[in-house]
Amino acid sequence: MIHFDNVTKVYANQNRPALDHVSVDVDKGEFVFLVGPSGSGKSTFLRLVLKEERPNSGAIHVAGKDLAKLSNFKVPHLRRRIGCVFQDFRLLPKKNVYENVAFALEVIGKPRRFIRKVVPEVIELVGLEGKAHRMPEELSGGEQQRVAMARAFVNRPMILLADEPTGNIDPATSIGIMKVLDRINRTGTTVLMATHDAAIVDSMRKRVVELEDGKIVRDQSRGVYGQAY
Amino acid sequence: MRANFIFSEVWIGLRRNLTMTIAVIVTVAVGMGLLGIGLMINSQVSSLTGYWTDKVELSVFLCEKNSPFPACKNKGAITEEQKAALKQTIESLPDVERVDFEDQAKAYENFKDGGNNSILLSVIKPEDLPESFRVKLKDPDKSTAVQDSLKGQAGVSNIVNQRQILESAFGFMEKLRNMALGVAILMVLAATLLIGNTVRLSAYNRRRETGIMRLVGASNVYIQLPFVMEGVIAGLIGGVFAAVLLIFTKVFIFEQIQTYTAAPLTWNTVAFVITVTMIIGVVICLLASFVTLRRYLRV
Repeated sequence: MIHFDNVTKVYANQNRPALDHVSVDVDKGEFVFLVGPSGSGKSTFLRLVLKEERPNSGAIHVAGKDLAKLSNFKVPHLRRRIGCVFQDFRLLPKKNVYENVAFALEVIGKPRRFIRKVVPEVIELVGLEGKAHRMPEELSGGEQQRVAMARAFVNRPMILLADEPTGNIDPATSIGIMKVLDRINRTGTTVLMATHDAAIVDSMRKRVVELEDGKIVRDQSRGVYGQAY
Repeated sequence: MRANFIFSEVWIGLRRNLTMTIAVIVTVAVGMGLLGIGLMINSQVSSLTGYWTDKVELSVFLCEKNSPFPACKNKGAITEEQKAALKQTIESLPDVERVDFEDQAKAYENFKDGGNNSILLSVIKPEDLPESFRVKLKDPDKSTAVQDSLKGQAGVSNIVNQRQILESAFGFMEKLRNMALGVAILMVLAATLLIGNTVRLSAYNRRRETGIMRLVGASNVYIQLPFVMEGVIAGLIGGVFAAVLLIFTKVFIFEQIQTYTAAPLTWNTVAFVITVTMIIGVVICLLASFVTLRRYLRV
């Protein structure tokens, strides 16, 4: 599903590469934690998957597509198959829960009838039934992140990228967020989650890929956050 | 759904940047208005040139007693023999089509019909007006050559080339046109920069929305269209104001001077000019929005 082959990314004006000859394979339906200290290259990895950045060398395949050969014109279609969740939720403050989720479908031109059908379903999936008409400011951090996840998942993407989704949320609420991610993963969606949260990684017992200074230092199935050799 | 969504976005954008939108509308209106006026003057000049060129004559004025022109000084009035010889000379020129003699009585009639004021008319008597030959040319472009060859002939006091009079009038209109076009170019430049700025502000105001749109895979057209539409709508409104300005110019200026010009500016021309300025205005707005978006809305 995601295939990195010897990928190196150096940002302009920086000597040290953000990613240094990284090769990794993520299969369909996998749940992968991407761990490592700040600046280790986790976010760069996610940005490369979205083709927001281009690698300096190496090949990236996402959902069977060679990103180097994917024209800019087709990048939006790639992104429709990838859902994204961020630490800062990125909701539209002037739209309510339903409208925030529906926005993701409106802007890719889905018909109104389809939107009316699927948005309530996905709001229920993330556990926000009955809150469809609340505004983001009326919701807790955990609930806002659920809205963001509903928006990321409403188009049934093949891949869900989560960049520190629990970074702004207290540990108790984080468990609920992880349950939603797990539920999404069980529908067959590949989930790739960058995180600092050791407790969550340890409790989930999923594959862990650890980055340090742009290199993969560990790739372990059913791993934990800390060094566990 | 699509159209609805885009128009609500456009409306929000225009309202948020109201002052900038007004600035764009005003500059486009003035710029396109001046461009249109320039085009209208241009069409007026060419239709007038066409109309008058056929009618251009040389007036060969003849010496009389006490003529003030140096060519006649101390020679007295032209004699009948000189007159006949001169007529023959003129007629023998290859470029001359027809020669008419205008005596003092006829000159006085023409003078009266020329719309001169009554005080002048009460003072002037037929004897005060010179006799002349009215020379019609086969090819109006040769008027200067003919004028030169007749200069200095015995009994000729002065030659008036109507073409030169017309050319100075056209020259004035052409200067007016160039000025209008020059200012129009400056205004178009200002409009382009203003639209760029408006779109930039708009893009900044809506960076949240566009960021999300990008993430969920909205196509570039979908993301950019609201911004481009903002520019185009502002340009269109400016174009409408310019059209009103041009219609006013036609009614209050061109129709006033048309009494003298004998080749009126038609409504067809006005409609054509309005269409052209509208299209130019909208295209400029479209391009300006597009170019700015490429810089400020990374896709």
